[in-house]
Amino acid sequence: MRIVRFVGRRLLQLVPVLLGVVVLTFLLVRVLPGDPIRTILGPNATPEDAAAARARYGLDQPIVKQFLDYLGGLVTGDLGTSIQSGTPVGSEIGLRVGPTFELVVLALAVALVVAVLLGVWSARHADRAGDHGVRLMALVGNSMPEFWLGLVLILVGYSVLGWFPAPSGRVDPDTNLTPLTGADLLDAALTLNGPAFGSALAHLILPVATLSIVVVAPLLRSVRASALEVLHSEPYTAAKAHGLRGRTLLRGYLLRATLARLPSLAALVFGTSIGSTVLVEYVFSWQGFGQWALRGLLYRDYPVVQASVLVIAFCYVVVFLIADVVQAVLDPRVQI
Amino acid sequence: MSETVVVDGARAGRFAKVLIVTGSVILAVVALAAILAPLLTGWGPTEIDPLGTLVPPGPGHPLGTDANGMDVWSRLLHAGRLDLGIAVAGVAVAVVAGTTLGLVAGYLGGWVDDVLMRVVDVFQAFPTFILALAVAALVGNGTGNLIAVIAAVNAPAYARLVRAEVRTVRESAFVAASVTSGASTLGVLWRHVLPNSLTPVRVIAPLNAGWAMLTLAGLSFLGLGVTVPAAEWGAMISLGSPDVVAGRWWTSVPPGLVLLICVLGFSLLGEGLQERAEAKRR
Repeated sequence: MRIVRFVGRRLLQLVPVLLGVVVLTFLLVRVLPGDPIRTILGPNATPEDAAAARARYGLDQPIVKQFLDYLGGLVTGDLGTSIQSGTPVGSEIGLRVGPTFELVVLALAVALVVAVLLGVWSARHADRAGDHGVRLMALVGNSMPEFWLGLVLILVGYSVLGWFPAPSGRVDPDTNLTPLTGADLLDAALTLNGPAFGSALAHLILPVATLSIVVVAPLLRSVRASALEVLHSEPYTAAKAHGLRGRTLLRGYLLRATLARLPSLAALVFGTSIGSTVLVEYVFSWQGFGQWALRGLLYRDYPVVQASVLVIAFCYVVVFLIADVVQAVLDPRVQI
Repeated sequence: MSETVVVDGARAGRFAKVLIVTGSVILAVVALAAILAPLLTGWGPTEIDPLGTLVPPGPGHPLGTDANGMDVWSRLLHAGRLDLGIAVAGVAVAVVAGTTLGLVAGYLGGWVDDVLMRVVDVFQAFPTFILALAVAALVGNGTGNLIAVIAAVNAPAYARLVRAEVRTVRESAFVAASVTSGASTLGVLWRHVLPNSLTPVRVIAPLNAGWAMLTLAGLSFLGLGVTVPAAEWGAMISLGSPDVVAGRWWTSVPPGLVLLICVLGFSLLGEGLQERAEAKRR
């Protein structure tokens, strides 16, 4: 019950922040240079054509009216219509979110497992050669330009070794995959399409590897630090002094206490991974949410920019909220 | 118990020194290479070799030429100027602007604090790279604009950091003493509050400069930062990215590697400073 109240209160606190985001994006895209209309009309368009197009998208209205219309739409779940494609922004997002989600969730999952295993191992062997090696790896991962790493993996995995498919698209079109959620691996599993599953998996390996290598580094460092803290804590020292078995110490005392700190770290890392995803999608021609938002930005497609910024901000703050809740569940000392 | 702590501290101090020295040496080498670039290569950074594009590494072109027929080695060296310059300048502006905001918000408190911190909240509702992407796409590229973009996305973090420090420093006895002895608000801020609120900034700034380089290169890779023909590592990687599928490594692998090493230099430096700060605290 307390958790429900906590979530409710936090969701209410989100409203002003998100409203600020909405106002800021709305104003910024309009105040700063660039014109969405010019990009959809050809070079031969007359001023009358431009004015007509402006009117069609409501851009001739006073800015306050435009904003109120937009806000009214938002309240009813209408994100507007893309100026570039003429389709509703909401349904475009629906198409694009699945592939990106699949990429990010898989990468984060791989990164979390690797970070916990390596981080705890490293902390238990602190200040020995293996630990220094792990820390150096984490530093290198932290300094890695993800788009370059993706290219290197393509160079090795596709061009030189030929083990992986070319970096264009998410699944071989010959496999006749029926799209359901947009997450190809999931769709293939749901429709029991074996070849499509294999193809989607092969396409996923390099981008997921790229993203998880970049994401694992900060996680690894934090897991190691908090595991070290636990190892030096009084409860752990006491348990060890009582001569508990190694396995009990590891599972009951070290892992659990270390994991309790993980959610907020994971949320923070999720944020950086959104930024990296845009670059990784671009490198692998993933055609997901990141690439869609980027194109909207480049063409000054106001509704697309506004919607994608709002979606990203919303995901970001909601992930932090989820992290706090998970943390409270894992760690009974946390008061919410 | 206290003995082990002292030993730990000393060892951490030594380790910190190794990190700081290694990081500084890497950065010094990259900076020197960028400054002395004209002495290290016969080709200009935007000079086109009429004899060929995509020439493999060999005599004449130690790292080959790119799709425009420009010498990769020369561009690699010259690019350090823009990459290091923009990143360091951007972070410097962010530190000054963020510190000022944090100082004002933390010391004055009240509605000023509320308003400034809500603005910071909105900025921090985005991952840094996304924010940089949006701002860069809207304001357009150009060195000045890129410095402003780097500064704008990083300043809020400093504001928050400094504000938190200021709020603790504000309560200390020496601040109260100087206020009662009639020092002006500005004087108190400048002489007492500011110097005692900068510790976290010193540790974060080098790490931040590394991330700023990654941000800048990422923007350029997407065509929103520095654009070809100007020599910049992200733009070089971008230009070389189609070659990768054809198995040509020399146009995109070297600039990424140098970028990685340079960011690593900042990371080592920042890590070392952090380690030293912690060793002192123990």
